[in-house]
Amino acid sequence: MSNLSQSPKTLEISAGLISKNKNALKTFDIVACYRKFLKENENISMPVAAIEALIELIKHSKAATISEFMESLKDASQELKASTKNSISLSAGTDLFLRFVTRTSHDVTNLGACKEQLINSGKVLVEKSAAVRHKVAELGVQFIKDDAVILIHAYSRVVMLLLQLAARKNKRFKVYVTESRPTSLGVRSAKILRKAGIPATVILDTAVGYVIDKVDAVFVGAEGVVENGGLINAIGSYQLAIVAKAASKPFYAVIESYKFVRLFPLNQYDLPTHTPDLLTFPDLDSYSGQPNQRDEDFKELGSGITRSSSPLDEESQRRHYIEEGGYPDLDKQDNIKDAQNFEEINPTVDYTPPEYITLLCTDLGVLTPSGVSDELIKLYL
Amino acid sequence: MEHIHANEIIMTIGKSKTVEAFLTAAAKKLKFSVVVAETSPTYGGHEMALKLSKAGIDTTVITDSAIFAVMSRVNKVILGIHAVLANGGLIAVSGTQMVAAAAKHHSTPVVVCTGLYKLSPLYPYDEDWFNDLVAPDPVLSFDEGDLVDKVTLLNPYYDYVTPEHVDLFITNTGGHPPSYLYRLINENYDPEDTVI
Repeated sequence: MSNLSQSPKTLEISAGLISKNKNALKTFDIVACYRKFLKENENISMPVAAIEALIELIKHSKAATISEFMESLKDASQELKASTKNSISLSAGTDLFLRFVTRTSHDVTNLGACKEQLINSGKVLVEKSAAVRHKVAELGVQFIKDDAVILIHAYSRVVMLLLQLAARKNKRFKVYVTESRPTSLGVRSAKILRKAGIPATVILDTAVGYVIDKVDAVFVGAEGVVENGGLINAIGSYQLAIVAKAASKPFYAVIESYKFVRLFPLNQYDLPTHTPDLLTFPDLDSYSGQPNQRDEDFKELGSGITRSSSPLDEESQRRHYIEEGGYPDLDKQDNIKDAQNFEEINPTVDYTPPEYITLLCTDLGVLTPSGVSDELIKLYL
Repeated sequence: MEHIHANEIIMTIGKSKTVEAFLTAAAKKLKFSVVVAETSPTYGGHEMALKLSKAGIDTTVITDSAIFAVMSRVNKVILGIHAVLANGGLIAVSGTQMVAAAAKHHSTPVVVCTGLYKLSPLYPYDEDWFNDLVAPDPVLSFDEGDLVDKVTLLNPYYDYVTPEHVDLFITNTGGHPPSYLYRLINENYDPEDTVI
């Protein structure tokens, strides 16, 4: 994996030499290592894989001073963050690990001993991470009442574990899963639940309002928890939280503590995942070549009736529209074809403010959103 | 003292020694009036009103059904409770939820007087697990005859009030908002104690 062309000799404090050494270290491909870890273990989460990749980097590091070592780690985590579009939980993991490295490097001044300690504690961290999910699930199970109807969103490993654990504890409950377009991960969740013997039905994302009165509680996982106790999760979670609040249903978040992020978004557009190309309007001048083409389309849209060849057809269609009280049967295939165009400019994650969240179940205990900032400080201190 | 002003109308429910002490201490310095909901079927409100009036406070007793109607005249609600849960929710005598909901509707501040020993590290997993169903006799006694066979009588002793209804907790350590409770719990309880 690491094919260093030369090993650094005695270091001089000149920028040139340091940068040359940086390049030598860079030949360790952190992104490939990270992706390998993700592929190897399906159950591992992004931040844990990132931490494992950083540990590999430490093992292969040829840095001779602590500051060079720190620099290489920081550069590597920047590379990791840049490699994926949705980097929130990944940055949570890397930031936490870097903080831990900084703390250790202050305590242990010898580089070799420092590296040893980091590799060992890194291993412990990774081992504990699997147990962390179980701890979270155990805490969350208590919130499922017997005969409850639960609503979950998309696919979250922690929520799956929680529901499977509850089923094993012989709690009877049913689950509605939102399909969660465009990934449609909800369908995967429903399959897993049904295999575990839990009755699960997939509902349209748009049907959340319709279904909420039948539901007793909403459970979601998260990509990250921000400093004010808000959540960052798959797109659609914010809507779900608003609907749950309007219907007075409890909204529980289940999340591991290593996903606590040092972010404080004030709105959706403060998230690092919000790029300028999201939710843009098309450039109308390039929409169609001729102006009369646009007029034709406009007329067509206005009448709500598909263009037809003969006036007789138009008449029957108009009658259909009036009598049936609905839109004429537009070709679904056409709609799906157009879908590819807008999926790309749509966001993949959203931010749920803390006032919509009832409680957060974490491995640090059950927390109210206001208690998160305190725990975050303790983690980073 | 900073929480009660002269000529205010305070509402309370049930009989709580903490609230009684709070109000009688304030009465030594200020003049205000108190409306007490009688709190059926235990009628603790009657005893409370007696004690308050003995301390020289202008007291009025109202039926529980009049709580909403009278709330528009009330400046402040002061409650005594059985326990405070970790999320800021309250376990209090049956009828408290009515007072809290009416107060929220009228945007009347709700103040809870409690000693810190009543703070519990548990969360409300279920809205029924803490409740006690006591004897239904005070609700509908056997004297009513045949009617008793035809109805199912429930007499829950406690009410659960959500944290959104409470504005301030006054404890022996001072005043705290409901969002601060997690801090009090962390300081007073060890996580080992709360997870069995």
